[in-house]
Parts: sequence; structure tokens; C-alpha cells
Amino acid sequence: MKDIVLEVKDVSKIYKKYDNNLDRLKEIFFKKEYHKKFIANKNISFSLFKGETLGIIGINGAGKSTILKIIAGVISPTSGEVIRRGRVTALLELGTGFNDEMTGIDNIFLNGSLIGMTKEEIYQKKEDIIEFSELGEYIREPIKTYSSGMKMRLAFSIAIFSEPEVFIVDEALSVGDAHFQQKCISALKKRKNENMSIIYVSHDLNSLKLLCDRVILLSDGIVIEEGMPEEVINSYNFLISKLNDKENLILKQDNNPNSYGTFDIEIIKATVIGKKSKSNIISSGENATIQIVIKSKKAFKNITIGILIKDRYGQDIYGTNTYYQGKKLSTEADKIYICDFNMPLNIGIGKYTLTAAIHLDENHLEECYHWLDRATEFEVAGVDGDLFIGLCKLDPNITYKEEGVQL
Amino acid sequence: MYRNIILAFDFAKRDIKERYFGTGLGQLWYILSPIVTIFIYTVIFSDFMKMKLNIIDSSYSYSIYLVPGILAWTSFSTTISRLSNSIFEKASLIKKLNVPVYTFQLSILFSEIMLAIIAFTLSIIFLLLVKQPITLSFLWLPVILLFQFIFAFGLGVIFSLFTPFFKDLKEIIPIIIQLWFWMTPIVYVKDMIAKKYPFLVEYNPIYKFIQIYQHIFLYGNINGFYKDIVYIVIFSLLSLVCAAYLYKKMISEIKDII
Repeated sequence: MKDIVLEVKDVSKIYKKYDNNLDRLKEIFFKKEYHKKFIANKNISFSLFKGETLGIIGINGAGKSTILKIIAGVISPTSGEVIRRGRVTALLELGTGFNDEMTGIDNIFLNGSLIGMTKEEIYQKKEDIIEFSELGEYIREPIKTYSSGMKMRLAFSIAIFSEPEVFIVDEALSVGDAHFQQKCISALKKRKNENMSIIYVSHDLNSLKLLCDRVILLSDGIVIEEGMPEEVINSYNFLISKLNDKENLILKQDNNPNSYGTFDIEIIKATVIGKKSKSNIISSGENATIQIVIKSKKAFKNITIGILIKDRYGQDIYGTNTYYQGKKLSTEADKIYICDFNMPLNIGIGKYTLTAAIHLDENHLEECYHWLDRATEFEVAGVDGDLFIGLCKLDPNITYKEEGVQL
Repeated sequence: MYRNIILAFDFAKRDIKERYFGTGLGQLWYILSPIVTIFIYTVIFSDFMKMKLNIIDSSYSYSIYLVPGILAWTSFSTTISRLSNSIFEKASLIKKLNVPVYTFQLSILFSEIMLAIIAFTLSIIFLLLVKQPITLSFLWLPVILLFQFIFAFGLGVIFSLFTPFFKDLKEIIPIIIQLWFWMTPIVYVKDMIAKKYPFLVEYNPIYKFIQIYQHIFLYGNINGFYKDIVYIVIFSLLSLVCAAYLYKKMISEIKDII
């Protein structure tokens, strides 16, 4: 067993809600209760080991920020305790502890001392911090002239060079540009190899999968799952898809500008679900089912059901239909049919929308029963199998040999 | 604890360094502003208006009476008003960093002590210029001042703890401070109210301090004030103990609501 650097023992945080501040004050000094309870965290326990990266996920309002603040020592728990063995530095919100009027350099000293670095430490690491932040000459300008990305770069640089035993990152990385995000992640990985422990909170499931050894899933202030990133993220996705389900029923055509056609056959539901994830957040390469549910008002022959995957820029990524796939479909009057497209989702990481259509023969130009843009949305996060970049997965077969010609 | 006191010192230094940042005269203002205060009261009251107290034989007697009271009051009132706003002012840091609130409050105390030392040093120079004798009893000044700061700190912290609950206090406290100023014999002399409102003199804690400064400046001794010094020590420490008790009881609740 590795050393434990942080122990969260049965921590609960109950926010008390009062009608007014006088009641709040009265309760501090007298025994009578005036409050209504709001439970933000309930009986949370976990340990963090040396060199481990722990992810915390949960939907908005699940209590992530509360538990992080308690771990960082910013607020005190209602019951339970947090045992810290070493310096805990938290990057809770961007620009924590900066003075806008002061220059970047002065803020290194201010912020550094606020997060517990000694003067000598700051002097030693000043140059490294400036270099890592890539602020260059801007470091001599007041912080108020910085963009939010620049502030975040400085905050992150100071935090990582304070060399904490436990580093808490809450969504902070999302502000930076891709280049700096990458740099942060590799810096985190490097420090992790030097045995720093990290608590990482993000809605970016990719980086969670990349960084974390273990993930905790919070829901309504309770730990509902703890384990390998892959599994916990799947449960998280399942949780989200349940939320989405309520909104998934397709809008009536007359108030949906993305929908047109004769509506003799109607698309009533479209879903994209991963085999493993059981939700609409799917790993690249994972088997997925695109399901289109249709309702036919009359009997038709030779109808075609089509799907088209678009990325978030509206670019067509992949489209096919039952005609191209050689399937002949027909309907009877007033019946519901389910059409499943099963396939490995060999497309790149990102968010996608699905367009679905029902028409006659090859394409919708001749007779279109129903064309539905944005029928549903899904996200590809993380890669199942070999890593790759880009939009599509091509699975090359690689050979390598000596050429045999002497140079 | 030790680390936080060091941090408070750091903040105080920074605060002093930065207060006049960007001004043409920079840190000269620390010396200039008390000089201006002393100068105004000397020139206006002693030279123009020829106001004179007939208690000692000096044409600057009224100024000598005024200066310590004004300086001590200024430092007392700014300490209290800065402290009472301190939790609000630092809310963004308090909410995000694991630095106890008292660190920020101590830093205010330290920087105000520094400013008071400068002001009183200048007032001694003023006394030398108007040829007022300086005696050994002047050594009591820093001692009394220290207790004044303990008192102001306790009071200021107590105010700061209640302002998050009642935001009106933010407006009320400056009014109280102003009223308090005029109810204390600083600009006028004690005899003018002692008969009509004896309680203003008897039960006014800040006057216990100011009376001693005035006496030292005018007569160079503290004869007859030993009992007052005992009072001063008692209620300064009392205010500190009260503040500490309330702080402990209320601070975690405060962090939840700011």
C-alpha cells in the first residue's frame, strides 16, 4: 500500500438556509433552530495516495466544488474531518489571489505567499514560473491588462511551481488555449511522476481519462461510484443520458425549424447509444447503435431511412442510408418501426449531431417524408484501442524493414 | 499560526508600499500627510485665530493640545473602519484560499501601527520646533498607543464579524465613529463638557487614552493617570478576548455567507 497524503473522513457539509440574517445570528448564540437544511455533501470518505491522480465528476450541483473547498481548507465541514499530510494547493477559480493593479511579478510574490510558499522559495522559482507562463514582457504589466487566459497561465504556473503534495485543479484548464492546456497536462503528468498527488475536476471527459488513475462520481452530495476512470465515466454518462431522456422526445414538427417533409412517415425518436457506455457519450471505436424509431401513417414500399453524422461545425462526417446498404424497407399503415444502425464509431473525439431522414429511394430529392436535422446529439470522448488524432480512424497496418541498399 | 503572522507582516509591508503607488510623490505622502495635519492645526488655530489655552505658557499651547488627540484619533478611527470592512474587502480571497481571515486583519493592524509611529515621530519633531520640553514620560506614549491598538483591533474585529450579517453596519459604523469623535474632548477641552455631560468624560474609553497623550504633550508627565492606565489595560485586553471568542464562534458561518 502506498502512502496516504490526504484523507477525507466522513465529511458532510450542510448549508443552513435562513429567512434572514438575524435568525442566522441568533442561532449562533442561542440553542433554538431557525434554519432549513441544504445538504451539499453527505458522508464523503476517500483517501488520496502519493502520486495518484483522482478525478471527481458529477453533474452541476452534485457537490464537487463544495468538497474541493473543504479539502482545500477554504470552508469547514459541518461534520467529519480532512487530514492533510503536506501542502495542499488549490487552483479553485481563475486568478485566485491576484491584485489587478499590481504587475505579474508582484503577483507572483503575493499569490505565492498566499498559497504558502516562503520568500526564498519564490525567489528561487520566479524565473521558472515566468518562463512556464510564457507571459514574456507582459509579466511587468499590471494584471488588469491580462486576458483571462493569461491570468490562468500565471495562476497555474505559480501553483505548479509551489510543488504541493496535493494539487487541486478545478476546471481551471478550460480557459487556456489548446497549446497551454497541453502544456499544463504534460506538466501535471511530470509532477505526478515525481509523486505529486492530484485531484482533478473537469467536465472534459477526455482529459479525465488521460490523467486519472481513479475517479469518484458524486451525485446529490453522495459518492455513488468509485473506481477505474472508464467505468465511472460510463456511469456518469448514464446519469447524464437519464437527464437528457426527458428532453429527447422529438419536438412536434410545426414548431421545429429543423424538421420538414410530408410527414406521412414520421421520425418519432432518434438515439445514439454506446454498447459499453450505455449512453450518448461514447468512446471512439466503441460499438454503438443509432436507433431511429418511425411511425407510418400509410403503407409504403421502397422507403429509405438515412442517417448523417455532423460535427459541431456542421460538417458532414458520415452519412448512409438503407438504400445504399441494400435494404428494402416497407411499412404498413399506423405501425411503428425501429431501425438500428449498428457499427463501431470510428470517428474522432468531439461533439456531434445526428440528422435522420425518411424518403423514397436513393435520396430525399424526389419524395421526402421526414427530414430531421439535429435529431439527437452525442459525444465521442476517449479512445477505445489505439490512440489517434483527427476525424476518422483508419486502422493502418504498419510494416518496417531495412531497405537493403547500401548508401 | 506563526506562518500567518509572517504573512500578515508581508501584507502590511506591501500595503504600505502600494498605498501611494502611482502618485508623483510616492511614499513621501506618509510623512507629508501628518505634517499637513499638524501644520493646519498650528497655523490656523495658533497663528491666525490666536487661540490659546491658558494652561501652559506657550503661544502654541492649543496646537500642542490638539495634535496628539487628532493623530491618535485618526489612527484609532481608520483602524476600526478598515477592520470593519476587512471581511468584505477580502471576500474574494477568503472564499478561495486557505488563509485565515485574521491574517488579513492583523495586516491592517500592523500597517496602521507603522503609520502611527511615523505620525507620532513627526509630532515629537513639532514639539521640538515649538520648544516644548520632551521628558522621560514620553516613553509612556508607545505603551499607551500599543494598548490603544489592541483596543481598536478588538473592536474592529467585532464589528467586522457582524457586518456580514447586517450590511447596514457598513453605513452605521462611520456615523458612530464621527459622533464619537465629537463626543470626545479632542478639539475642545474637557472642562467644556465635564460639568454638563460628565459621563462623556468618565465612561468614554477612547478618551482615557487621549487624555494621557494630551497630558504628556502639555506637561511632560503622567501624574494622576496611573489608575486610568490600569483601566486601559483591562478593557483593551477585554476587547481582544471578546473579539477572539466571537471570531471562533462565528467565522465558519461567515465563510458560508460571504
